[in-house]
Amino acid sequence: MNTVQPSLDFDALKEVQGVMGADFPLLVESFFNDSVNLLIVMQKSIDESDVESLRQAAHSFKGSAGNMSAITLAALCQDLEGLAFSGTTVGGGQLITQIVAEYKQVKAALEDI
Amino acid sequence: METPVLVSELSVADGLSVSTAKILIADDSNTDRLLLKTILIKQGHEVVVASDGHEAIEVFREARPDVVLLDALMPKMDGFEAAEKIRQLAGEVFVPIIFLTSLQSTDSLVRCLDAGGDDFLPKPYNSVILQAKLTAFIRMAEMHRTMQSQRDLIVAHNDRLLREQEIAKRVFDKVAHSGCLDADNIQYSLSPIAIFNGDVALAGVSPSGNLMVLLGDFTGHGLDAAIGAMPLAQTFYSMLEKGFSLQDILREINEKLHDILPIDVFCCAVVADIDFNNSVMQVWNGGLPDCVLYRALDSTVIPLKSQHIPFGIRDSDSFDDSVDTFEIQVDDRLFLWSDGIHEATNSDSEMFGEERLFGVFEENTKPEQLFDEINEALADFLSDKTISDDVSIVEVRAVSPGDFRTSQSGFIGSKQAGPRDWTLKYELRPETLSNFDPLPMLLHILIQVPYLRNFGGQIFTVLTELYTNALEHGVLQLDSSLKDSPVGFDEYYQLREQRLLQLQEGAIEIQFHYKGTDNGGNLKIIIEDSGDGFDYKQFDGDLHNNVRYSGRGINLLRSICDSIEYSGRGNIVRASFLWGDSQ
Amino acid sequence: MSVSSSLSADEKELRISIEGRFDFSSHSEFRKAYEDLDARVDSYIVDMSGASYLDSSALGMLLLLRDYAGGDDSNICIADCNDDIKKILAISNFEQLFTIK
Repeated sequence: MNTVQPSLDFDALKEVQGVMGADFPLLVESFFNDSVNLLIVMQKSIDESDVESLRQAAHSFKGSAGNMSAITLAALCQDLEGLAFSGTTVGGGQLITQIVAEYKQVKAALEDI
Repeated sequence: METPVLVSELSVADGLSVSTAKILIADDSNTDRLLLKTILIKQGHEVVVASDGHEAIEVFREARPDVVLLDALMPKMDGFEAAEKIRQLAGEVFVPIIFLTSLQSTDSLVRCLDAGGDDFLPKPYNSVILQAKLTAFIRMAEMHRTMQSQRDLIVAHNDRLLREQEIAKRVFDKVAHSGCLDADNIQYSLSPIAIFNGDVALAGVSPSGNLMVLLGDFTGHGLDAAIGAMPLAQTFYSMLEKGFSLQDILREINEKLHDILPIDVFCCAVVADIDFNNSVMQVWNGGLPDCVLYRALDSTVIPLKSQHIPFGIRDSDSFDDSVDTFEIQVDDRLFLWSDGIHEATNSDSEMFGEERLFGVFEENTKPEQLFDEINEALADFLSDKTISDDVSIVEVRAVSPGDFRTSQSGFIGSKQAGPRDWTLKYELRPETLSNFDPLPMLLHILIQVPYLRNFGGQIFTVLTELYTNALEHGVLQLDSSLKDSPVGFDEYYQLREQRLLQLQEGAIEIQFHYKGTDNGGNLKIIIEDSGDGFDYKQFDGDLHNNVRYSGRGINLLRSICDSIEYSGRGNIVRASFLWGDSQ
Repeated sequence: MSVSSSLSADEKELRISIEGRFDFSSHSEFRKAYEDLDARVDSYIVDMSGASYLDSSALGMLLLLRDYAGGDDSNICIADCNDDIKKILAISNFEQLFTIK
């Protein structure tokens, strides 16, 4: 668990805020919804050893996390995507645990804004 | 079907011009899509969205965006597959496809390119990079569109040009081939698109049975070159048909081309008028390289030199219609060519040239093969190349009048039609005699009787023969025996020219008496000259070898007319034609 | 090929010099040589000493110059032609239209 490093790149996030303007809360809400869905898909993929499904979900989560300036979360998703890309889901459970914890921090930070 | 939205130019406040477009975003991530859409709308673009590959294709089909941004990994159909489909749908239109990806392996990036992607846009998005890429691609698409519309325009123009050329060629062929290039004694090689190289070959028969051949070479290529060919051919054939003399035809062609053509376009040409009955050929060459008269008797080659400025350059007043006159015999051959054969160039950039051309004549042993040998020599010289499109050659062999046959049109007119009972009297005085040929006009009057058109050629022959005799022997006092030797032959025509120019007195009177019935008719031609005449009684019943005729003429007349009679002091001649129930 | 031109000191005579092949590609350059001229010249010299070849469109260009210079009243000399060019001019009997030296 990583609680020391900042979960968000605030400089980058400011830019996103600038672009979105009044619609920023919409973007955050959309990110939360996407994330919940993707976390469920990722967990299910590991339970069923579905490598392709895991890869897609991790890839997608990596992308949106990156766009939300959640760099640590994006890096963890990339690790999971890499694992799936190498053809296995073994060890994915541990990464999911880390991802869930990091996501909670990101969520909290975004809700604070 | 919605028209594709074209790229438009939006002027922004700071004066910079920013290209905007309709952009399709296909991404399954709502977050990423929302962010990207917002960025693009802020930048002034119109945005349409899809959340998977299938939807992307549907939206593309309906909205026809200018640029497509595709997420590589999407459910249902991934970006790679969608890209290929979109390329197919776009067809010839260039629609930039940019992959939205955080893929990192080179393999994946290569797949994006293979699928038809033009670029990548990494996540997280950077609006500056995004704008730079979009601007570049929108410009590229714009250029592509411009290029394509210009290409389409060129293709359309070219198609139209070819179609017009085809039509022009067909129309021209109709006119040009109304002649007798296909006669047995004529051979020619002419490119099927010769008219667009500026080359024109014409051949026709005059009412008196003369064969007139013209080979012309207009300056320039394409339409420039073709533009004068039509009036040239029409003038040539219509005047020839009406019986105008070579000189009149030359003048008219020159004047017509001078009027029509731009100053820098003209027509080099050689025109030959071959009178098989009198074994005389007259040639006018304006601007073509030496053509050739090949003598069958001793295999000599007589060059027919260009003595004149080409057609279309000088106005009527300064046009020179003087011709060279040659005596010809059966099997003499006339070769006409444009400079295309001289300038035919082989792969060593050497030209065929005059020397090689005349060399063929030196080495020839069988005159009937000359035409083929010239073509073979040229083909050998060009070896690896096919014979150039610019080469035009015409060969005319002299034949005896009896062997010269052309397909004349069938019987025309009913015997009853037209003027039926009339007389014409026409007197020509010195000034007229020296510079006017009355025969075409007279023939024109005669063929107002439709029935007479069927005999136009024969009547014209008789008229020409009688008029020429009245003029040359009666008025000009020329001695036909001069024509017996080649030297005298030239002298004869020189004298004729001279005396015509200086003519001060004398006259010729021509009378026609025509009477038609329901089933026949008769025409009398009476020609009286002011000359001394001759003692026709001495030749009673035997007009051969008399002073007025050098043999051929009288036989011809006898074979055509029902009677020929002399009266007065031998200066009046009557020829009559009878047909149908008048016989 | 190239076309150059120069005015005589008294501005009465224009010398147009042709280098290389004189054919359709010289069309606009040749016209410019005499049309873009402020002075009114009495006579023209077309200097062929550097010309290697001349085709029928070049003959057309000479006719355009002749027309520009007054047609029958023009005073144009075509000078220093090589044998090939002389022959081409002779076949077309251009000596009746131009002075050929």
